[in-house]
Amino acid sequence: MMASEISLGLMELSVVRELTNIGLGHATTSLSEMTGRKFTISVPDVESLSLERIPELLGGCEAYAAGIYMPIEGDVTGHIAFLLPWPSVRSLWKMLLGTEPCDPSEITEMDASALLEIGNIINGSFLSAIADMTNLAMHSTPPYLAIEMSAAILDAIVVEASSKDHLALAIRTTITEAEGSLEGFFVYIPSIGGLRHLFASLGIAEAA
Amino acid sequence: MAEIQVIRGTGQLTCLGLGSCIGLCGLDPVSNVAGMIHVMLPEAFQAKGEEKPGKFADTGVPALIEAMVRLGANQSRIAFAMAGGAQVFKFSANNESKLDIGTRNGAAVAAKLRELGFEIVAQDTGGNSGRTVIMTVETGIFTVRTVTSGEKTLCNLRG
Repeated sequence: MMASEISLGLMELSVVRELTNIGLGHATTSLSEMTGRKFTISVPDVESLSLERIPELLGGCEAYAAGIYMPIEGDVTGHIAFLLPWPSVRSLWKMLLGTEPCDPSEITEMDASALLEIGNIINGSFLSAIADMTNLAMHSTPPYLAIEMSAAILDAIVVEASSKDHLALAIRTTITEAEGSLEGFFVYIPSIGGLRHLFASLGIAEAA
Repeated sequence: MAEIQVIRGTGQLTCLGLGSCIGLCGLDPVSNVAGMIHVMLPEAFQAKGEEKPGKFADTGVPALIEAMVRLGANQSRIAFAMAGGAQVFKFSANNESKLDIGTRNGAAVAAKLRELGFEIVAQDTGGNSGRTVIMTVETGIFTVRTVTSGEKTLCNLRG
């Protein structure tokens, strides 16, 4: 796989974890405001997972999954995606819309736009948290959604990201609501220059 | 991804979950040499010597042929089929997806094969579905699997 695995020191990992926690805190608020329900989003672990391992965590290479992907523009360019295994996608629809398509072929416009909106909020909050802390400009661009074989979604993201050299970071995320909880994965692929920029602006010497 | 797989005799070659990438497979039915590449992008960047040639259409197609010939294939007998090159991110806020590398990948692989004088026996490219491709050397059968349509035989590379 082209986007090689990021290797961050403990210090950098804890910074990313903290940024993620803050970002997801923002996302939780927006999500609760939008739906009128109480959500919590937690980050049990920030791992530098290899992108190749993600399909396996989403239920296998050929398992259905959803991916909401956004290119990032500004001082720290890169790519961000939020990936959900199929059972999580269904739970999310149930939470948000009260109904859930049983089969991927029954997905409606409404189902798709609900997922795009959620992805937009989650990815956008993550970016604005980082931007606020670092004073760097990071602009999210309109999101794209795929509901497909998990490996095919990853394949498309890696292709988009690999026009230049990139590193990848995967963050396991749990979204909890009164009716249950679901798991998703955040994939953050900053450009190498962007990452250097990011750590420098936080006053941390880069490990990688 | 970007790997060049070659086998001789018996066995299967697969590419799991192709999105915008292309799985290109060649078979020489006489020597039973088969090969597959997982092409990610249409063309190699300049000044990137250490990149795997299999990653790009323009370098990957000749590299696949060369690897097959090294294993005993006769270049003039190789039959090709390909699948992939989808636009899996089909939903977007403005209903207009600009992510079209899949289409360009398919066109670049086809163009390179034509340039080298090869015909493509069959292809299943484009659309929005992720694909898994499997080619069985013994039978020459090239199958494509998608989540929505299941598994179907695209062609037989033994003719």
